[in-house]
Amino acid sequence: MEQVVQQLINWLALGAITALLAVGFSLLFGVLNVIHFSHGDVALTAPFVAMGVLIALPAAGFGVAIIAAIVLVGFMGVILDWVSIRRFRSAPPMMALVATVALGIVLRELIRLLYPNGSNPHSFPRLFEGTAFTIAGATVSWLVVAMIGCSVLTMFALTLILYRSPLGMRIRAVSQDLEMARLAGIDPNGIFQATFFIASATGAVGGLFTASYVGLMRFDMGIIAGLLGFSAAVIGGLGNMTGAIVGSLVLAGLETLAQAILPDGAAYRLVVAFTLVLVVLVFRPAGLLGRVPVPKV
Amino acid sequence: MSTGGSLNTEPGEGGTAPARFRISRDLGTVAATITAVAGLLYVFLVVTVTLHVVIVLGAMAVALWLLQRDPRVEASIAGSFERRRSFALVLGVAVALAYPFAIGQNTYHIHLLVICILYSVLTIALNFQLGSANIPNFATGATYGIGAYSSALLALNHGWNFWATLPVAALAATVFGFAIGLPSMRTRDAYLALVTIACGVIIHQLLNNFEWTGGAQGLIGIPAPSVFGHSFTQPLRVFGLTLPAQANFYYLALLLLMLAIVVAGRLHHSRIGLAWNALRADEIAARSVGINVVWYKMLAFAVDAFLAAFAGVVYAFYVGYIAPDNFTFLVSVMLMTMVIVGGMDNVIGVIIGTFLLTLLPEKLRVFSDYRLLFYGLVVIAFLSIRPQGLFPQRLRRYRGVE
Repeated sequence: MEQVVQQLINWLALGAITALLAVGFSLLFGVLNVIHFSHGDVALTAPFVAMGVLIALPAAGFGVAIIAAIVLVGFMGVILDWVSIRRFRSAPPMMALVATVALGIVLRELIRLLYPNGSNPHSFPRLFEGTAFTIAGATVSWLVVAMIGCSVLTMFALTLILYRSPLGMRIRAVSQDLEMARLAGIDPNGIFQATFFIASATGAVGGLFTASYVGLMRFDMGIIAGLLGFSAAVIGGLGNMTGAIVGSLVLAGLETLAQAILPDGAAYRLVVAFTLVLVVLVFRPAGLLGRVPVPKV
Repeated sequence: MSTGGSLNTEPGEGGTAPARFRISRDLGTVAATITAVAGLLYVFLVVTVTLHVVIVLGAMAVALWLLQRDPRVEASIAGSFERRRSFALVLGVAVALAYPFAIGQNTYHIHLLVICILYSVLTIALNFQLGSANIPNFATGATYGIGAYSSALLALNHGWNFWATLPVAALAATVFGFAIGLPSMRTRDAYLALVTIACGVIIHQLLNNFEWTGGAQGLIGIPAPSVFGHSFTQPLRVFGLTLPAQANFYYLALLLLMLAIVVAGRLHHSRIGLAWNALRADEIAARSVGINVVWYKMLAFAVDAFLAAFAGVVYAFYVGYIAPDNFTFLVSVMLMTMVIVGGMDNVIGVIIGTFLLTLLPEKLRVFSDYRLLFYGLVVIAFLSIRPQGLFPQRLRRYRGVE
C-alpha cells in the first residue's frame, strides 16, 4: 500500500513537470504552426539562469533569482523568435523544424560555455524543504506539493488568459485564422511574441522544478526533457491544452509504472515512453484528444 | 555524376561552327567546374590555420551569394553538364579515383574523406524521403545502426565475413524500415516526425541496454574485410605507389557512393521517383490520380533503410568498433541538416552539403570548445540566407522539352 501511494505521488509529480513543458509545445504549435524543437532547451536554461542571477547578485536571494529566471527565460523565448524563428514562418515546416533543432544545439552550447564550469553537472537546491505530510505511510515533500500545486495553478492561469482575457481572444483568433485575425486589426507579430513569452515562461517553471526534483542541472538536460514534453503534447493532441495535460499524465504514468514494475525499469524508461508514443499514434494518429483534420484541396 | 534529368538532345547539334564552339565551351565549363570543386575540397581538407578556414568559408559564401544574385550562371553550368554528361561522368570518376594519390600519406585526410563519403550515402538515402517525398525521418541514425550492429554481430559471433554480412544487414534494416513506415499509413507531418523520433530513440536505448549488443561499451574488434586475399588492413599498392590502408576503405566507400548515386538517379527517373514527387507536391492530388500513397511512403522508408544499412556495415568494418552513441538521435538530426542545407531532391547538392557539414566541425576543431556552437550557428545562418538549400531541386525535364 505504501509503495502504491508513493508511486502515485511520483506519478503526479512527474506528470506535473511534463505538463508544464508540453503545454508550451502545444501552445506554440497551435498559434504559430511551428514545432519549436528547442523549447525543452529554452525551458531547461531556467535553472542556469537562476543560479547565474544568484552568482551575479548574491544579495538578491533565491526567491528573487527564481522569479527573475522565469521572466528572463520568457523574454529569451521572445528574443529567439525575433532573431531566428520568425524567419522561418513562411518556410516549409521541415526548415523550421531543423532550424529550431540547430537553435537547441546553440542554446545548450551557450550554457556549457557561459556558465562557470558548465560542462559538468551542478547541484540545484530544492525549491522547498521538508516533509509536508505523510499519507498511508508514504511521505510527501513540500517540493512535490509545490510542483503539483504550481502546475495546477499555471494551467488554471493559462486557461484564464486564453479564454477569459482580450489577449487570449486575440491569440485564439490568430491560431484559428491568421488572415482573418489580421483583417480584424490584430498584429500577429505581437501575438506571436506574447505566445512565446507565455510558453517559455511556463516552460521555465517546469525546468526549474525538473532541476529541483532531481537535484541536478546539466547543460544537455533539455534534449530528453524536450522530447518527453513534445511526446506528451503529441500523445494528447498538438494544439490542445487539455490534451497536453492528459498526454503528460499518461506518459508520466507509464514511466512511473515501468520504473516500479520492470526489473531494470530506470534503464528502459525511455523505451517504454516512446513505445507508448508509437502505439498511441498508430491507433490515434492525431493524439488522444486530437481530431484528424479532414484533408481538403 | 550528374543526376539532373536530361534525355533532351539539342536540335542542330554538331556541324556548324557555333555548335562546335559550344561543345568546346561546354567541355571547358565541365572540366573547370570539376577541377574547381576538387581543388576546393583539397584546400578545405588541408587548411588548418583558423584564419584560412574562415577565408575559405568566406570565399564559398561569396560564390554562393553570386550564384544567388545571378541564376543564369548556375543554369549555364548545369546546362553544360547536361549536354556533356558522359564526359562529366568520366572526368568525375577519374578525379574521385585519383584523389587519394593527391592526398598521399596523410591518413587523417583520407579518413575524413571516407567518413564524408559514408555520410553522403546516408544523406542520399535520407533524400529519398526528405527530399523526394518530403517525409520527415529522424530514424536514419537508427537504420544505420541496425546495419552496423547486425553485420558486426554476425562477424563477431558467427565468423561471417564482410561480404556475407552485407545482404543480411541490409535485409534486417529494410524490414525495420518497413516497420517505421507502417505508422505513416495514418500519421503525417509533425506526428510522423515524432514516430520516427520515437523509433530512433527506442533503437538507441535498446542497443545501449541489451547485453548481447555490448551495452554502452559497444562491440570491439570487428575484423577487417579482405578481397582476393588482400586484407583491407594492408597498405594499398597501385602502379608502384603505396597508399595507406585507409585508401582500401576509401575505394570501397566510393564504390558504394557511386552505386547510391546510380540508384538515386534511376529511382528519380522512374515512376517511383515521380510518385514521390507527386506526394511532396500534394498528397490528396496524388491519391486522386491513383497513386498508392501508403505503399510509396513505406517504400521511401525501406529504400532509405536499405542504403543506410550498407553505409552502416562499411562503417562498422572500417572503424572496427561501434557503440550506441554513434547512432543517436543527434546523428539523425545532423543527417537531416545536411540534406536540407545541401538542397532537397538534388543528389549533387546533398553530397556537397554533406561534405561541407562533415568537414566543418573537423575544421572548427581549432575552436575546440566552440565547435558545436559554430555548427549550430552556421546551420541557422544557412537556412536563413538560402532557405531552399545550397542547390535546390531542379525542374524535371523530359525528352524534347527545352
